[in-house]
Amino acid sequence: VDINMAFKNSTDNWGWLSKLFHWLTAALIFIQIPLGFYAKSLRLSPLKIDVFVWHKSLGMLVLLLVVIRLLWRIKNSIPAPLTSHRLHRALASGAHGILYLLMLALPLSGWLTASASMFPTKLFWLIPLPALVSPDSATKTLAADIHSACVYITIAVLLLHIAAALWHHFVRRDSTLKRMWF
Amino acid sequence: MIIRMPILLLLWLVSCLASAEQWRNDGAASRLYFAPSYEGLPINGEFSQFQVSVSSSQNLQPESLSVQVQIASADLGSSDLNQAIQMVDWFDSQSFAEASFISEHIVATGADQQFVAQGTLSLKAATKTIEVPFSWQPSTEGNISMQGELILDRGDFAIGSGEWSSGDQIGLAVKVWFDLSLVAAGD
Repeated sequence: VDINMAFKNSTDNWGWLSKLFHWLTAALIFIQIPLGFYAKSLRLSPLKIDVFVWHKSLGMLVLLLVVIRLLWRIKNSIPAPLTSHRLHRALASGAHGILYLLMLALPLSGWLTASASMFPTKLFWLIPLPALVSPDSATKTLAADIHSACVYITIAVLLLHIAAALWHHFVRRDSTLKRMWF
Repeated sequence: MIIRMPILLLLWLVSCLASAEQWRNDGAASRLYFAPSYEGLPINGEFSQFQVSVSSSQNLQPESLSVQVQIASADLGSSDLNQAIQMVDWFDSQSFAEASFISEHIVATGADQQFVAQGTLSLKAATKTIEVPFSWQPSTEGNISMQGELILDRGDFAIGSGEWSSGDQIGLAVKVWFDLSLVAAGD
């Protein structure tokens, strides 16, 4: 680990804060997707309620992280892509843009679902989650449908994102993946 | 004669009011709410089907009352929750379709228009003596406004048994409150 590692991004490298944001959200998303499917699969029980509290709490953490991450990205320049191929660049920036949108849409649609349901939410069993809308069945169904549609799109775009990273690392043998690590 | 007619009419109206001793809830204008809680936060619901009947003295003091509640009409605003609460662990409405509260003993608390009905609540498999405090306000339109609030312990009635019985997530205290408009029965 380079102790002189820069805090901010440069034209060639990611700063450690951007890397931290990337891997933290990555870890949370890898927990959140199976956790969400698991919570949904359970019959209504104390366990289901607890698993959902984790899912909602981590989801709100993702939202907070993504907002800070986006602000940091807007304030900073980002390293130039390691490919000059126009299609690859377009695919990469398209995928990144969609991922940012999804990282906002997923927690927001989840928050909307929780708000529209009658069941109150206490994040980490501590903080009552303020409701975005008043309880309403139709709103809840719509928000839940958007939430699950976003999950499937996220899985597809993430597969592309991971495949591209591995392609850079193993096929093109450039430092795209390595420079995102610490 | 011109002066006496309205006076007679008024006397007749007053006598009608005074002799109306049986009251029932006006369905559209009466609500019966209940709110369990999760981690101390309320989950608001209501029973849409229930019947209240009250007997009063000639000077409109409440004397006895009876309430029937159709348990299947419990609405927590979510189809998932509504299905769940009808199950055996909760209301078990298949076996216990109706809850009732019967009071033959209503006492004035001393405060203006405030009463307490002492009676028995039959809910699920349990029957328990409870007190229901309420306000009672006859209006000039001839109906009576009746409001009250009480806290029940769901554990007393085995509502939320098994894995739910501890009250750790879904609290044991359940708030019940009502806002009724009573009209003369037979109207």
